[in-house]
Amino acid sequence: MTEVRLGGTRGTGTDAGWDPKHFGAIEVLSFAVSGMGELTKQIQFVQPDDGNTDDHTVFQVRLPKPVLPGEHVEFRIRFHDHLPEVVARTGYKRDFFIVAQWFPKVGVWWHDGWNCHQFHSTSEFFADFGTYVVRVTVPANYVLGATGDVTAIQTNPNGTKTVTFQGEDIHDFSWTASPDFHLIEDSWQGSAGEVKIHLLMSPGHLRQAGRYLQSLKGTLAMFDRWYGPYPYDRITLVDPPNGVGEAGGMEYPTLITGGSTWWEPKGLRDIEIVTEHEFGHQYWYGMVATNEFEEAWMDEGINSYTEAKIMDALYGKGKSAIDFLGATASDADFLRVEYLLLPDTDPMTHYAYRFMNSQAYGGITYGKTATVLLTLEGLIGEETMRRAMQTYFLRYRFTHPTGEDFLKTIEEVSGRDLRWYFDQAVYGTNILDYEILDLRSDRADWYERYPPLTKQGETLYKDTVVVHRKGDFVFPVEVEMRFDDGTGVREQWDGRDRWTRFTYLKKAKLLSAEVDPAHKVRLDKDLFNNSLTAETDRRATRKLSTYWLFVWQFAAQLLAWAV
Amino acid sequence: MRSRRGVLGEGARIVWRRQRVLWWAFAVNLLLALLGTIPTAAALGKILDRSLASGALVDRFDVPTFAELAMSPARPFHVASAALFPLLFFAFMLFFEGGVLTVYRADRKFTTAEFFEACGRFFWRFFRLLILFLIAIVPVLIFNRVTKSWSDRLAVDSPNALLGFWVQVVTTLIALLLLMAVRLWFDMAQARIVVEDERAVRKALWPALKLTLRRFPWLFGMYFEISLAAWAGLVASFWVWVKWVRPEWVGVTFLLTQGFLLFWLGTRFWQRASEIVWYLRHAAPPSNNIP
Repeated sequence: MTEVRLGGTRGTGTDAGWDPKHFGAIEVLSFAVSGMGELTKQIQFVQPDDGNTDDHTVFQVRLPKPVLPGEHVEFRIRFHDHLPEVVARTGYKRDFFIVAQWFPKVGVWWHDGWNCHQFHSTSEFFADFGTYVVRVTVPANYVLGATGDVTAIQTNPNGTKTVTFQGEDIHDFSWTASPDFHLIEDSWQGSAGEVKIHLLMSPGHLRQAGRYLQSLKGTLAMFDRWYGPYPYDRITLVDPPNGVGEAGGMEYPTLITGGSTWWEPKGLRDIEIVTEHEFGHQYWYGMVATNEFEEAWMDEGINSYTEAKIMDALYGKGKSAIDFLGATASDADFLRVEYLLLPDTDPMTHYAYRFMNSQAYGGITYGKTATVLLTLEGLIGEETMRRAMQTYFLRYRFTHPTGEDFLKTIEEVSGRDLRWYFDQAVYGTNILDYEILDLRSDRADWYERYPPLTKQGETLYKDTVVVHRKGDFVFPVEVEMRFDDGTGVREQWDGRDRWTRFTYLKKAKLLSAEVDPAHKVRLDKDLFNNSLTAETDRRATRKLSTYWLFVWQFAAQLLAWAV
Repeated sequence: MRSRRGVLGEGARIVWRRQRVLWWAFAVNLLLALLGTIPTAAALGKILDRSLASGALVDRFDVPTFAELAMSPARPFHVASAALFPLLFFAFMLFFEGGVLTVYRADRKFTTAEFFEACGRFFWRFFRLLILFLIAIVPVLIFNRVTKSWSDRLAVDSPNALLGFWVQVVTTLIALLLLMAVRLWFDMAQARIVVEDERAVRKALWPALKLTLRRFPWLFGMYFEISLAAWAGLVASFWVWVKWVRPEWVGVTFLLTQGFLLFWLGTRFWQRASEIVWYLRHAAPPSNNIP
């Protein structure tokens, strides 16, 4: 809560206060090790991140004797769960349950040490792979969904049922239950075999089921084609019921939660974006399984990049997020806007719980990372980037790679030294902003006392363009000049100096100059100053002013209703 | 029903015959808004007029481009200066309304001096009435607040996704109808003040309430029909704009929005004219003269 009050939270605000209904806890009742006995009293809470002794989210137990190489050890942990009313994607609401982060997790032995962080308000998690066998007992009328496959169902005489789930090569387990779920079964054929789709719809949102399925299948196909096979035989997609938005938009191995409303029109693609995003986690969080405490961008950021790519591929560039009543928006552009909210507070590589606040965490981890990778794609080419992503996935799945592993893979596949870019974009907080500072066409014979009359195509001009690097991010850019005789010229500038000037002696005047005419440098903080035209074009200003005028006129008339 | 049609028809004819006051109100509405828009238009022009990026806002409405524009350090959307304008228009209408009702009551052409003399004569009375109106709508606002929090709670706590929404729709409609009923009562009081040159504002409210309640369904139906026409105009204009007006047709958008705003303002004037007609026919003493 201290972190929440300092820097906000990623949720919708229900956990911003001290409402006891949102408290959740796992209480460890006993801890025993086979062959070593009961060790509950050896439990010692530690605070590896901040030394806050009130924090009881991590404990360590020193075994009486070491576990030697080749030996194995078995722990028996009894614990009691206190579920909160749904907050941060776990808990209950009425008779709906989303049960996640519900059991004590073992830290990860990683880089010759235990990696186990405290629970933080912004961070997600890190765990090692294993096989999970979980038996869940619920009232018989409940519909269940969980990580893994159902291996047994037993009906109990007391009106309950016990369902056994088993999942392999996964690093977490969560489950959901509600008597109201409407189960929709479907399947998709991928390169690694058939994938069963279980869609658990809340009754009020049934009309949106088709959108979920279309988005999920499209995403499965694109990941399969671009990055690698989906090796599990199942994916469960949960549509949380009304009023449980806090349970929506989350990923667990082979189980994801979406989010919908009964009214959302097709042109607003929230349902599709969330479904795509959460499924994408199956690759980056689920299989590649990076350390989300220390390198959150490796999951959420890379996943946001693939989200932008796949949404564009599935729903069309420029309208992948909104295509409604004449308004358009691409998912990639929304991610860029998210980045622009707080672009330079923290480097992408900050630990998740050390960002300035939750907005900086979100904007940089999701928005900036996606924008950095989209810009990188513009630098090395879309096809190369796709091969690099595929190589990274296939090489590092099930291995917990680091950020450097990812960056080196891109350098290796592209065959280019990109350290200069990573130092600024990934490890730095540099701001990239280029502008056309000046554009002018002077008659070459300006010094003549009686110059001949100006004649298009015959009068010689000295055309000048000044490009300015406003930000501290050095990036090579392309600059395009267009002339009034229909010609154009593209120049390269390495951007190392603060400014440069392009000069031409031509029988044509400059019409416009533009930095990055192909719109590849998405990290550029201000796209409006990237170009300058000789003539003014007031159409956009007039249009927005007309809207603005109408809004205030109408507001005035509504207010005047009171007299 | 037939007599309501008669009153509505006569009200519409008065608005048409005395359209000059409507045009003046509309012109002031437009002029003040234009003044309020100048700082924003100037700031937008500095960013957009010589930038190729503005194209995303011309031939379509690209939401992220608009968001980036709104977030730009120049902060081009000057809300404070624009928000001042509705307050000015509100004050203007408070002054103007007395003249409008006097013109509708007399149904003849007024000289400028006569018109503004009427505006001035009723200004303070209408100002006092406004304060009473603001007090009268407090219970409606409380009702709206309570039902809103109730529907919000239902929207979150009920497993039925639609329940909260429909409760919200129904209670908002009820609140709007209640507001319209209060407005009807105070419009009646204004009609009484103008027609009978009543100086005691608080005293005018009681007979106005009695009159309103005596023929409430009839009068309310009259206001409701005109309001329905206003909202239908809003929906129709929006539909035409979305369906037929291309994003780059700024001039057409301007004409359409102004046409709608004139219509919307006209429907309010129509309500006032119809109520004056009704008052003169059913409540005014026969010897009543034009003040």
